[in-house]
Amino acid sequence: MRLVTATGLVKSYGSGRAARRVLDGADLEVHAGELVAIVGPSGCGKSTLLHLLGGLDLPDEGSVELGGRRLERETARGLTELRRDYVGFVFQFFHLIPELTGEENVLLPARLAADRRAATRRGRKLIADLGLSEAARRRPGELSGGEQQRLSIARALVNDPRVLLADEPTGNLDEESGHHVLGLLRSLASGERAVVLVTHDAEAARIADRVLRVQRGRLEE
Amino acid sequence: MTLPGGLTASVRRLRVHPGRTLIAALGIAAAAAMLGAAVTVAYGLHTGFDRSARRADLPDVIARFDDQPQQRVDARLRTLPNLRARSYRREFTGVPLDANGHASQNGVLQAVGGGRRGYAIVAGRDLRRPDEAVGERGVAREWNISVGQRIGIGNARLRVVGVAVSPDNVAFPLAKGPRVYVSQSALSPRIGTRVNIALIWLNDPSLLDQTLTQARAASFGVGGLRFLTRAGVRTTIDQAAGIVIALLVAFSVVALCSAGVMLMASAQAEVERRLQGIGVMRAIGFSPRAVVGQHVLDAGVLALPAGAAGIAAGALVASRPSANLLESINELPPGAALLGPLALALLLVVLLVAGSAALPAWRAARRPVVSVLRRGELAPVSRASRFPAGFLGMGMRLTAARRGRAFATVAVLTISAAVVLAMLGMATLLNGLRNDPGLVGKRYQLTVNAPASEVAAIRRVPGVQAAAPRYVLFAADSFLLGESLKVVAYPGDHTPFEDPPLASGRRLRSNGEAEVGTGIADALGVRPGSELAIELPSGREVRFRVTGLVRAFDNDGRVVYTRPARLLAADPSLTGEIAVKLAPGADQRAVARRLFAGGHPAQRITGGTTRNASFLSVLAALLRAVALVDGLVCLYILVQALALTARERRSTIAVLRASGAGRREVLLVLAGAALVVVLAAAPAAVLLELAVLGPAVSHLAASYVSLPLHARAGQVAIVVGALLVLAVAAAALAGRRLQREPVVAGLRSD
Amino acid sequence: MLALLLVAAAAVAGCGSSGASDSTLHSTWIDPHHSGQLERGPGEPFVERTELARRSRPVRQLALFAQFTDAHVRDEESPARVPFLDRYGGAFSSTFRPQEALSPQVLTATVRAIDALRPQAVVETGDLIDNDQFNELTQALAILHGGEVDPNSGAPGYSGVQSRSSPDPLYYRPDVDAPRHLGLLAAAERHFRSPGLKAPWYPVVGNHDLLVQGEVAPTAALNAVATGSRRVVQLDPSVRVSAADERFAAAEVAHLLANGLPGRTAYTPPDPRRRLLQPPELLARLRAASAAGGSGPLLRYSFDIGPDLRAIVLDTVRRDQGSGGIISPVQVAWLRSQLASAGRRWVVVFSHQALTTFPEAQPALALLDHDPHVIATIAGNSHRNRIEARRTPAGGYWVITTSSLADYPQQARAFRLVQTADGRVALETWMIDHDGGDMAGVARELSYLDVQGGRPNGFAGARSDRNAILFR
Repeated sequence: MRLVTATGLVKSYGSGRAARRVLDGADLEVHAGELVAIVGPSGCGKSTLLHLLGGLDLPDEGSVELGGRRLERETARGLTELRRDYVGFVFQFFHLIPELTGEENVLLPARLAADRRAATRRGRKLIADLGLSEAARRRPGELSGGEQQRLSIARALVNDPRVLLADEPTGNLDEESGHHVLGLLRSLASGERAVVLVTHDAEAARIADRVLRVQRGRLEE
Repeated sequence: MTLPGGLTASVRRLRVHPGRTLIAALGIAAAAAMLGAAVTVAYGLHTGFDRSARRADLPDVIARFDDQPQQRVDARLRTLPNLRARSYRREFTGVPLDANGHASQNGVLQAVGGGRRGYAIVAGRDLRRPDEAVGERGVAREWNISVGQRIGIGNARLRVVGVAVSPDNVAFPLAKGPRVYVSQSALSPRIGTRVNIALIWLNDPSLLDQTLTQARAASFGVGGLRFLTRAGVRTTIDQAAGIVIALLVAFSVVALCSAGVMLMASAQAEVERRLQGIGVMRAIGFSPRAVVGQHVLDAGVLALPAGAAGIAAGALVASRPSANLLESINELPPGAALLGPLALALLLVVLLVAGSAALPAWRAARRPVVSVLRRGELAPVSRASRFPAGFLGMGMRLTAARRGRAFATVAVLTISAAVVLAMLGMATLLNGLRNDPGLVGKRYQLTVNAPASEVAAIRRVPGVQAAAPRYVLFAADSFLLGESLKVVAYPGDHTPFEDPPLASGRRLRSNGEAEVGTGIADALGVRPGSELAIELPSGREVRFRVTGLVRAFDNDGRVVYTRPARLLAADPSLTGEIAVKLAPGADQRAVARRLFAGGHPAQRITGGTTRNASFLSVLAALLRAVALVDGLVCLYILVQALALTARERRSTIAVLRASGAGRREVLLVLAGAALVVVLAAAPAAVLLELAVLGPAVSHLAASYVSLPLHARAGQVAIVVGALLVLAVAAAALAGRRLQREPVVAGLRSD
Repeated sequence: MLALLLVAAAAVAGCGSSGASDSTLHSTWIDPHHSGQLERGPGEPFVERTELARRSRPVRQLALFAQFTDAHVRDEESPARVPFLDRYGGAFSSTFRPQEALSPQVLTATVRAIDALRPQAVVETGDLIDNDQFNELTQALAILHGGEVDPNSGAPGYSGVQSRSSPDPLYYRPDVDAPRHLGLLAAAERHFRSPGLKAPWYPVVGNHDLLVQGEVAPTAALNAVATGSRRVVQLDPSVRVSAADERFAAAEVAHLLANGLPGRTAYTPPDPRRRLLQPPELLARLRAASAAGGSGPLLRYSFDIGPDLRAIVLDTVRRDQGSGGIISPVQVAWLRSQLASAGRRWVVVFSHQALTTFPEAQPALALLDHDPHVIATIAGNSHRNRIEARRTPAGGYWVITTSSLADYPQQARAFRLVQTADGRVALETWMIDHDGGDMAGVARELSYLDVQGGRPNGFAGARSDRNAILFR
């Protein structure tokens, strides 16, 4: 089952002579149960691609289809819905809210869910499953990077998204934590869910079902 | 134009974020505008009397007396010590005047003799010939008289050759009669040599009392003698407008403080925005001093034009109503003299902004570089702090996390809101002063011009609860002749009719006792137990034992309450009026009609200040203008604080949006962030107004009386409600900007 | 030779300043801002007056003497006073003065200033006292003699029109009115010490020494008022007062005082020491206390000041009533004999009223006009500093009057007769400010402010009326 379809994505930054075309006709399909790793040198457009896939940004040209909905045709409200229900994000810098406890951070998206109770239940279970019960009571500032990243993964999963988009999830972690997180992501890419991973991490590339390289604005296997 | 390197760099830095720079500049300009308006009003009004007195060459003493041959008066006057100059006038009141289709039966005609005039010509020229007249500015304005036109004086028509201003009284129509000057030679020779006013200039005005003592010694046989000193003239003018002017000046002082706090907060916010930059500069080896220098320079470069524009705008907005106000009390606008204080205000703005930038920059620059790079530490929020769950609560937490800034924002907002509350209180007070005699301690509503023997008949009129003879006379302290005062006397207990609150001592109980208003008591240094000697216009002296000091509003607190027995003994010609107190619920007009029917035309008592509607509307315009600016300031503070929070928490918002938060949720978070400030500021503002601002303004305006300047419940509700609306509006404004940018923009900024 | 001359000149010039800190040649009181506040200012150098003779360098001092006049030492608490007439002005303006309670202190401050000058003689040219009262003379003589002075009369402390409780604001009340001097009156009534005049002093009688209020001869009725316990506080409204001319005013005062008290009266503590002096008693006491000798009903005598100067004192006071002067033919004859006996000595003539001010003095003036030795007549009474040249066939002389101690400027006068380089003489004269001690400074300040006083009336005169070298 195709969860994500991107065709002919073009994205530039800047304007005039300074303009730089980061993506130049990138195509991608992601299927359920798949873990796709996207690799490439810094600034090649990996993260940009991920943002376009998740509807955090819109392409200059080309289209992205999530669960059968074309993002470029969606209203702001529609995009918000898609982000809420269909996609989960994991960031290199975790982006936990420092004033909230681990658990409050994880359950933040649950407030937005259609079925808040179910989402909350799922969130609590995720905390327990990921061994974060202790961390959940604390604030991000008091936690290790690994714990923070696992919390952010739990947050991304609270609304049970079909697609998990992870931007350098291990980039800020030590080897052991990174290993742990990657294991977790690998296990998540199953059933109806797919994981797209942007990474430098060789290990990450190793565990992926497919590894795609961004080259000259395109994706190559 | 080439700028020095540092300035060029500053300008370049400010250009990097034109929007942000614009916002900061707007904030500075708004505060500066408030300052400019406050300085314009306060300086113009505060210095108005002295300035106008100087321009008009107002005499140090104006002596009024019954008609005398000028030679006779001059023979005495020229023997006075400390005498610099003297000139004489003959005043006629109740003169029919008409011009341009306007007419008055209450005209005041002053025939001026040679020597110094005591007025300033503001248009045309001074009198030269017998067939010429000079009109006072008030009447010239009110009747549209221009130089060259003719004015009817009695049955003569004289050419108006000039327009004059003299702050020896308020201007027509605030004063009852329009005033016109003619030269003494215009009068028939038969009466031309008699005078009833002497203008006296002294070499050393500080020795006024000493000179007046001598003048009194020389005054034997001159009837109805009254000295009006400059201080006394000021009181006369104050009676019409002083309390209001004092309120405005006091208010301007408060506005000034508020603007200062705001400028500081805004400058601090600007530094916080650039904390990262500070970290980088420090990391690559800039000294703290260099970092601070750069911030001070940037702040100064921004504050100078923004402050200048703001101050100019504020001054411009306030100058017209301020000038109108001054005109109505016969004073002159400051003109170019205002530029000095405005320049000082600009300097203050620049210094304040630069200083406020320097302090946090210094603090930041001295912190460990790493912590600065990490964007400063957030204050750990204690777990005990309970905010409501949900996005609103989350927004509150975001604000509360930045404790210092939250505190500053609350403080500025508190002051601003308290100022608005104080202003509303002032408006209420003004209204009350106009309509409610009770507010100024008068418990009677009507007066009847009738001898004391009519009291019994008046008491019998239905709707009348009480009536008593009331004697009023203007006199001076006999020991300090420069101190003028008003004497109010009732044969019995005066408190049913006038009950100014007792500040110390006790009420009077016998003929030889008096209660003294704190206004004059302060000037004379009398206390309960002191002796008070009053010099009556008849030249007699009457003494009383002071039993208590009262906070009286009347005559700027320069008032003495007593019983008439001793006054009548000293001056049997003294006549009173009858004060009429209405029964509860009785209709003032109806009772007045019944009194009229009984042959007792009655006058209605109003409050302590002028009845002139246009004067009050000018004041109201001034108040509204400042209130509006202050309201905008509140909005700006909130938007600024929110923009800062939103910017700083861009990533947090972005994560929320990435997690599927929509417009509504983002708005809730921002609203929460704004509300927490408003919710803290609103009660603080009410408290500040009640406990500090109201009493302070009251004291500044009139230390001799406590003015009811506290905001009413309704006004508090309005202000709190407005603040809430402003919070939501601010959230909407900030939210719109956030909503427009792609989610990823917030994430990328890290 | 030249050097010697210079030394002599310096010595002469130095004389005027020797110890006389109150000499107005060095410093005097001025009102620089015309504000009514006196300050110490620069001195006034001599004005050379050459109307009678050309100027010439002084080479030798022949005599040094001082004059003070019109001290008006007064018992301001006395019931035999008419301060309520003061407000009518004109001739009545001396019936009340704001500084009147301080007259003994002013005289004492003047005595100190004169003593500092170390003159050979001091002449008091009349109106030593104000109201012909026994206690006034006692005070004045105590001051001039030196020792303890009791300025009080009646009950202890002040009781009069200036007291704090006085309800009449036309009187200056120092405890409450501006300029406020708390406790001034109480202090004015306290005992104090006077150093006394160190030089011999010579009295001249004035009308106030011999007449009640300077106008009325003492009578039994008046004496009863003076020693009685009722004081007029307000004049009966039916009494018509006119201050138009002095003679009429005198009659009015006489009438008021003689015919009982016309108006509202108040109790005042009586004092038998307020009794009025008859002329013989007054003259006897003056003669006994001073260096004036002689006897008889008139206080006329002569004395020498050094070997070169003869002083002749005339008695010009009427004994009946009024302040105008009189000189009887007998006294003119006496004057002629005195002038004749003066020989080659220079002559100065002292009188209370200046001889030029009343027609009855014409015969006396004619005598002086024909005597080449007369260099000056010196008087008081006018309360005004004035120096006029009187040109006569005999060479002329200077007619000098001096300000009173009662009114501003409260100055005494110093005189020095010097021989000039061309063999003639010059009379140097300069004013002496009293030293201001013991509240006398306050008295000067009040006298300056007084609207009926010496300031508006120009009693200080012109500069040439004050410090001048009068060449003869």
